[in-house]
Amino acid sequence: MIVTRQVIRVAVLAAIALCAALAQAQGPLTERAGRQAAKPAAVEYLYPEQITVPAGKPSTVALHFRVAPGRHINSHTPGDADLIPTTFSIPEGSGVRLEKAVYPPGAEFSLPIDLMTKLSVYSGEFILRARIVATTGNHLVEAQLRYQACDNNACAPPATITAAIDVIGN
Amino acid sequence: MKRNALAVTAVLFVLAFFAGLGWTNLKFRQRAAAAPAKLTPVAVGATRQPISPLQGKPAPAFTLEDLSGKKVSLADYKGKALVINFWATWCVPCRIETPWLIELRNRYAAQGFEVLAISADDLDRRNPARLSGEKQQIARFVQKMRMPYPVLLDADSISKPYGGLDALPTSFFVDRNGTVVAAQLGLTSKDEIEANIKKALGRKN
Repeated sequence: MIVTRQVIRVAVLAAIALCAALAQAQGPLTERAGRQAAKPAAVEYLYPEQITVPAGKPSTVALHFRVAPGRHINSHTPGDADLIPTTFSIPEGSGVRLEKAVYPPGAEFSLPIDLMTKLSVYSGEFILRARIVATTGNHLVEAQLRYQACDNNACAPPATITAAIDVIGN
Repeated sequence: MKRNALAVTAVLFVLAFFAGLGWTNLKFRQRAAAAPAKLTPVAVGATRQPISPLQGKPAPAFTLEDLSGKKVSLADYKGKALVINFWATWCVPCRIETPWLIELRNRYAAQGFEVLAISADDLDRRNPARLSGEKQQIARFVQKMRMPYPVLLDADSISKPYGGLDALPTSFFVDRNGTVVAAQLGLTSKDEIEANIKKALGRKN
């Protein structure tokens, strides 16, 4: 009887604690959501998360990125020295060397208010082909994509996202 | 004993119910947080703009360098109506807006109006050679656009009091008393800029 009462007491306390934990988790999340919404990343790395390549030999990997709806970023060749091109890099010392990055051609785009000016941009999903050489072993590579995003009315400052890829060199 | 078992079951049921509700709510909020937010809330030419928290408050003070290295302060323009215009060489909408600002500045300068253009281009102060190149790039742009008003550098250093400057162009319209009377986020229209300049000048129309 005493044992059962204790079980009930523990269960009630657990219920209260869980409800409190859920409330706590949701309160700050609203705040987090607000912070994220203030500076949302215009570009997201999609996949692959893991690749296996022959060690010491060049391999071409297709990396998929997505630009947020309603926005565009300059292509790698924006055609204007003042515009910031999209560039891909792999940090040195990561066990994986970037031999060459082959960027997709940009799509021609004009702002609705200035149809005469032609821009070269990426929007939606785009694929970048990276020729890499990996040493033997498992390497968690934090590749970097630098870009500068705009929508039809405004531009965000240049930004860099990390594409985390687990590269296994066999 | 049976009653106790029922009580335990009821408590567990309530626990599971609230956990389920909480989980659903959590997932919903996570999805909402992941949804991309629009960079600017207005369409070109639209008049609907978010109200800046600076509106009705004194424009935050600053002292910045211009392209020649001369220090320029907001306080130097006391008694003038101003547009504090944040822009960058890489910002295509800024290129569209700049000729409008030039035209309006020339139209209202005699009434005590000025534009202070503050560049948000990156400046690498640790690397003198690179810094020089960055300044030259800004200077080329200013020359090409024939900007007749003061162009100041390093918007980043004052971005916090001006709301973060997450989108360019961003403009603050300041009246003769130094109070922000309007703000524009992103490209709007020449008419809207002019209306806000008139507001800064204290004109009815």
